[in-house]
Amino acid sequence: MSGQAGLLTRHFREFAVAAVLGILLLVLAAFAPAFFEWQPLLSRMTREAPVLVVACGIAPILIARQIDISVGSIFGVCSVAAGLLATEGWPVVLVAGASISMGAVLGGINGGFVAGLRLPSIVVTLATMVVWREALRWWRQGEFVNLPAGAQWFGHSQVTGQLLLVGTAGAVLVVLAWAAKNLSAGRFVYASGSDAEAARLAGLRPQLVTFWTFVVAGALCGLAAMMNLVQSPQVDPKSGAGLELRAIAAAVVGGVAVSGGRGTMWGVFLGLALLACVNPALTYLHVHAFWEKAIQGVIILLAVAADVRATEARARVRR
Amino acid sequence: MNSARSRWRAVLLRHESVLLALLLAEILFFNVAGARFGSLNNAFDIVRHSVEIGLLALVLTPIILTGGIDLSLGSLLGLCAILFGKMWRDGGMPIELAAGCTLGIGALAGALNAALIAGLRLPALIVTLGTYSLFRGLAEAITRGVDTFTNFPPVLLALGQERFAGLPAQGWAFALIAAVVWLLVHRTTSGRAWRAIGFAPEGARYAGLPVTRRIASAYVLAGTVAALAAIIYTARVGQAKADAGTGYELLAITAVVLGGTSIFGGIGTVHGTLLGVAAIAVLNNGLVHARQPREVAGMLTGALLLIALTLSAAARGLGSRRG
Repeated sequence: MSGQAGLLTRHFREFAVAAVLGILLLVLAAFAPAFFEWQPLLSRMTREAPVLVVACGIAPILIARQIDISVGSIFGVCSVAAGLLATEGWPVVLVAGASISMGAVLGGINGGFVAGLRLPSIVVTLATMVVWREALRWWRQGEFVNLPAGAQWFGHSQVTGQLLLVGTAGAVLVVLAWAAKNLSAGRFVYASGSDAEAARLAGLRPQLVTFWTFVVAGALCGLAAMMNLVQSPQVDPKSGAGLELRAIAAAVVGGVAVSGGRGTMWGVFLGLALLACVNPALTYLHVHAFWEKAIQGVIILLAVAADVRATEARARVRR
Repeated sequence: MNSARSRWRAVLLRHESVLLALLLAEILFFNVAGARFGSLNNAFDIVRHSVEIGLLALVLTPIILTGGIDLSLGSLLGLCAILFGKMWRDGGMPIELAAGCTLGIGALAGALNAALIAGLRLPALIVTLGTYSLFRGLAEAITRGVDTFTNFPPVLLALGQERFAGLPAQGWAFALIAAVVWLLVHRTTSGRAWRAIGFAPEGARYAGLPVTRRIASAYVLAGTVAALAAIIYTARVGQAKADAGTGYELLAITAVVLGGTSIFGGIGTVHGTLLGVAAIAVLNNGLVHARQPREVAGMLTGALLLIALTLSAAARGLGSRRG
C-alpha cells in the first residue's frame, strides 16, 4: 500500500466531512457571498472558538472509550468564578490561570470517580453535571456577573481580541493534533481506547490515562470559559448549558468513534465547522432558523450511519 | 453455582431494601420538618408531578437492561405534545383521535431509534443523541419556537388534574403501565431476553435469541409510552409547548440507575426503578415543603446517584473478591 493511498483510507472520514463542508461552502459562495465578508465571518469564528476548545477536550475522552457530559456545567462554573475574580480586580492572566486550574480540578473529580472507582463515566458525569449546574443556580440565583470595563477583549480593540481568541483556539487544535499523533501520551489514549486489556498487558496504565483525559478536558473547559467570558460585558450563570451535546456532536460528526480508539483532532475541527455552517446557510438560503436543531440531529444520524459500512469493512478484514 | 446466585440475589435485595429504607427515612424526616407534607393532598401532588418522569423511567429500564440508553425521550415528549396539540387544534381532530394518533407517532419515533440501533447496530448513545436533537428541533420548527397550544377540553384536563376513584387520574395510567412493564421484564421471555442481551450480546445471539427484534421492541415501547407521557403532561399543565419535557431524560436515567439497574445492562428490576422514582419525587417535594430552595433537591439527587453507584460498585467488588 503506498503512503498516499494509506492516508486516504485511514482518514477517509475526515476527507468525506471536508468534502461535504467544501460543497456547503461552495453553495454559500454561490448563493450567499455575504457569508464570506470578513467581519461577520470573524465574529462567527470567535463565537465558535470556545466550542472548538471544549470539543478538542472531549475528543480524547471519547477516544479513550469514555464520555463526559458535564463539560457544559464545568464551563458554567468556571465562567462565573472567573467573572467574579475579574470583578475583584485580578489581572486577566491570573484569572485565566485560576479558571483553567478550576476546570482541571473539576475534571479531576470526574476522572477520580471514573478511573479510581471504575464507575461508568456516563452516569458519573451525569451526576456531576447536575450537581455543578444546580450548585451554580443556587449560588447565583440567576444573577449575572457584571465584568469590569477592561475585561472585554482583554482590554484590546474588538478585532484584536477576536483574532487573539481564534488564534488561541487554533493553537490548542494544532498542539493537541500534534500531541495525539506524535507524543507517547497521545498514543496511550488511542491504545487504552481500542483495547484497555491489551494496553495494560503492554505495560500502560489505562486507568491513569483515562484520569488524565478528564483532567485535560476540564482544563480546556476552563480555558474555553475564559475565551467566552471576554466576549461580552456580562457572565450569564446559565452559560455552557447544552455545550456538552454540541461538543460531542462535533466530535462524532468529525469521525471520533464513541466505541473508542479512533478519531483525530482535525476531524473534530471539520465536524464543528460543518455544524457551525448549518445555521448561516439556513439564514442565507431563507430557510427558517428554527430548523437548525432538527438539521443538526439529521447530520449526527447521517454521520453515525455512515460509520456502518466502515465498521463492517473493518470487521470483515479482522475475520 | 446456586450459592453464587443466592449471593447475587442478596446483593440486589440489599440495594432495593436500602433504597426503601432511604425512602421511608425521607418521608419520616419531611413529615417532621415540613408543614403540610404529610397530607393526602400532598401525596397526590407528588404523584401528579412524578408520573411523566416515572413513565419514562419505567420504559427506560428494559432499554438499559439490554445495555442501551435513550437520551431522546424528553425531546420526544416535547414533539408528541406539540403534534397532539397541532392535530387537535389545527387538524380539527376530536381529542380522543388526536391522542390515539399521538401514541402512533410515539411508536414511529421509537421505531426510528430501533431501526438505527437494533437494525443497523449503531451505538445507542449517539443515535439517541441525534434523535434528541432531531425531535426537539422538529418541535421547535413546527411551532416556530413561539406557538403554544391551550384551551384543551375538560375531558383531557380531567386526566391531568382531577381524581378518578379516589386517586389522581394519571396515577391509574401509571399503575397500569408499571404493571405491564413489571410483567414484561420479570415474567416473560422478552424480559429474560433483554437481560441476556445486556449480559452478553454475542452470547444471546449464539443462543438463538431474536436479539434484533427484542432490542427493537424495547425502543418502540419507550417511544409509545413517551407519547402517553406527553398527553398526560399536556393534561396536567393545560398547555403544550416545544420545550415540554426538557431534561426529563436525565431525571429518568437518574431514577433508573438509582433504582439499582446497571448502566452496562443485564442487572436491574422494575420495582427498583419505581423506588428510585419515588425517592427522587419525595426528596424534591419534601425539600420544597421544608422551605429549602429547589436547587438543593437537584444537588442532592446528583449526590445520591454518585453515592448509590459507589456503594453498588463496592458491593460488586466485595462479591467478586469472595467469589
